[in-house]
Amino acid sequence: MDPFLKGDVTVNEKSNGLGTIIKTGIVSFFAAIGRFFGEFGHAVAKGDWAVKLSLIWMGAGYARRKQYMKALLMTILEAAIILFTVKISMQYVPKFLTLGTVQAEQVFNMETMKTEWNDFDNSFLILLFSLFSFVVWFAAFIVWARNIVNVYNLQLQAERGEHINTFREDMRRYIEDRFYVTMLSLPVLGIIVFTIIPILLLFFVAFTNYDQQHMPPNNLFTWVGFQNFINLFGGGGLTVTFGYAFVRVLGWTLVWAFFATLTNYFGGILLSMLLNSKKTVWPKFWRLLFVITIAVPQFVSLLLVRNFLSNGGIVNTICANIGLTGFLRDIGLISTSYIPFLSAPGWAHVMIIIINIWIGLPYQMLIATGVLMNLPGDQLESAKVDGANAFQTFRYITMPYLLFVTGPTLVTDFVKNINNFNVIYLLTQDVYTTTNQAMANSQAKEVDLLVTWLFTLTQDYYNYKMAAVIGIVVFLVCAAFTLVAFNFMIGGSKESDYQ
Amino acid sequence: MIKEHVSNKRKTDIFLHNLLIAVLAFIWLIPIIWLVCTSLSAEDGMNTSTFFPKAWSAVHYIQLFHSDTVNQFSAWFLNTFKIACFTCVISTAFVLMVAYATSFGQFKSRKKLMNIAVILNLVPGVLTMIAVYFTLKTFGLTNSHFGLIMVYSASAGLGYLICKGFFDTVPRALCEAARIDGCSEARIFFQVILPMSRPIIVYTVISSFLVPWMDFVYSKMILNAGISANYTVAVGLYKMLDKSLINSYFTIFCCGGVIVSIPISILFLIMQKFYVEGITGGAVKG
Repeated sequence: MDPFLKGDVTVNEKSNGLGTIIKTGIVSFFAAIGRFFGEFGHAVAKGDWAVKLSLIWMGAGYARRKQYMKALLMTILEAAIILFTVKISMQYVPKFLTLGTVQAEQVFNMETMKTEWNDFDNSFLILLFSLFSFVVWFAAFIVWARNIVNVYNLQLQAERGEHINTFREDMRRYIEDRFYVTMLSLPVLGIIVFTIIPILLLFFVAFTNYDQQHMPPNNLFTWVGFQNFINLFGGGGLTVTFGYAFVRVLGWTLVWAFFATLTNYFGGILLSMLLNSKKTVWPKFWRLLFVITIAVPQFVSLLLVRNFLSNGGIVNTICANIGLTGFLRDIGLISTSYIPFLSAPGWAHVMIIIINIWIGLPYQMLIATGVLMNLPGDQLESAKVDGANAFQTFRYITMPYLLFVTGPTLVTDFVKNINNFNVIYLLTQDVYTTTNQAMANSQAKEVDLLVTWLFTLTQDYYNYKMAAVIGIVVFLVCAAFTLVAFNFMIGGSKESDYQ
Repeated sequence: MIKEHVSNKRKTDIFLHNLLIAVLAFIWLIPIIWLVCTSLSAEDGMNTSTFFPKAWSAVHYIQLFHSDTVNQFSAWFLNTFKIACFTCVISTAFVLMVAYATSFGQFKSRKKLMNIAVILNLVPGVLTMIAVYFTLKTFGLTNSHFGLIMVYSASAGLGYLICKGFFDTVPRALCEAARIDGCSEARIFFQVILPMSRPIIVYTVISSFLVPWMDFVYSKMILNAGISANYTVAVGLYKMLDKSLINSYFTIFCCGGVIVSIPISILFLIMQKFYVEGITGGAVKG
């Protein structure tokens, strides 16, 4: 049997929804902290002199048990951390609270008789390296505390007269029972450096005034507390437009995500049922035709469609020729000599959702096809025996099954659509210009999603502080939605029905 | 199969059913047909009056491969290929490693790590990339391929779920047997698990190879301010449609679109079988 097809059997794992994950997560988190310090305290209290010396010299415990290689490595690690702290952290961390006070200036140096830059502070580097230092210190602290527990365990082993591993044996464990550590190390490092540290960095930036007027290295930025959040949510005189734009952009983001997800989901199911019907002559051929449209990279297909539908484009010419443009003008839907498919509010919103059906439906069709193949045949059989018609079978058997299996993807798709950068950006960038002055003042457009807005803010206007705040809001919206949706969908006791 | 004795009513039913599919497929293909037709147009700019070009010519395909100040398609293609190869190797390795550890590793914090991954996956990619962007900028790594490769592949481990779903189905008895024979875990991974997982490896390799070809936002972010010769296909083609250039480069854009779509479509079609099964399997397992 195809291993993939076992998918629907292991539903159990999913049954702890995000809500429970978080609840048990918090409890076990504090329990783990308690255990961590408990073990550490116990080891310090009961350890011999070598264990206690390890508090200062991390290699001591290993040296005492003749694990010289490990002692050496630990000593090197300790030295590296100290060196890092002295050489790098000390330059930046003391300035963390002010993010720098010395503005960059060109001063005339009497000795060299040249104009030189003074020894200025770079707020961004201060923030970055302080953060990096915090992460390193945190990791170092954990290693340090675990090290004490480890050498204490060694002491216990020695006291019981057990065999103490040689360095070679220790290393061998990393391809034996600790192979998973070896396997996780690099990917986790990548995730820490390229996902976790950036998230923390952005989180801090949200509380600063890092923008075009405060751009390192020439200018300093500093902490402003919750000012950016107040601006975003509509407080504060001059920047009231940010609150105005935010409500509208958030509203459209949610509307878009809702329609984009639902149209694709149900459209995909209908299309796959159409294609998988016994009446279809060449199902594989038709499916291939649909898949071709999504095999073309989006930057090609979407940029193409945007020109296809542009104000002076081919579709507009055809519409003008067949009189559609004139008709729409007569009934007052448009006031221009062309149909503003992607350049007027309302029109653009609808078109974006329609184009998204074009670009997204085949994906959903593929997924639905895969799921429908797993549909429990006996249920369909018995429904037929009971005399159910096609619609009843669909309503009471196919649909509940599909919802059950692909329900989680419905949630993740919604989140993906909240962050669906490509469709919006490629279709409307440079094409859509807002006429709403209040929106324009905060560099937003009616068709912007939160993510495209924050992209424009950073790329074109260097407004990092607001981008960071919006980013946090996006994350909160996604997290809250996922939490609620998973609890709602998986909270039910339906798991057993399909096992 | 259609049997001989079906009534006429049923025949029309089947005919209408297939006609509906054909019409839908046609609608779906219109922009693609237009792409191919326009790429064969003799004019430089966009044809706005008729669907098919007025005069046909393949001259722009030749122009596409002759670089000028704007169009450096050959260089972009090679850049993207290079980036895709590195990304593919690193991402595949990371995904397989994390999937192995979460599927076969027996350690206390396994569930915890997976929950953290769920939360990290909720953070929009664009968002973290902005922070990565100004960090890379501070160190002068923007407009470099190294930075872009790191952006694509460093966090690839977070996309381990589908692969884990596959590994979960590998019979544990086999690993147990190998262990009794004295195999180390590392050898079990390389000589038992990997050979059994060819489908998921093919899926992971192709999908991570496709990332740089399909992506637009990250390459625009990282390479935007650089010189044209360093662009990837996505950034390069996007810049061709600038308002000042579109009238002389639209047909070349279409040619580029067709050329880059052909290999990608083929890879995508190979991958889609795994895509369906992988997604449905992985989604349920969560």
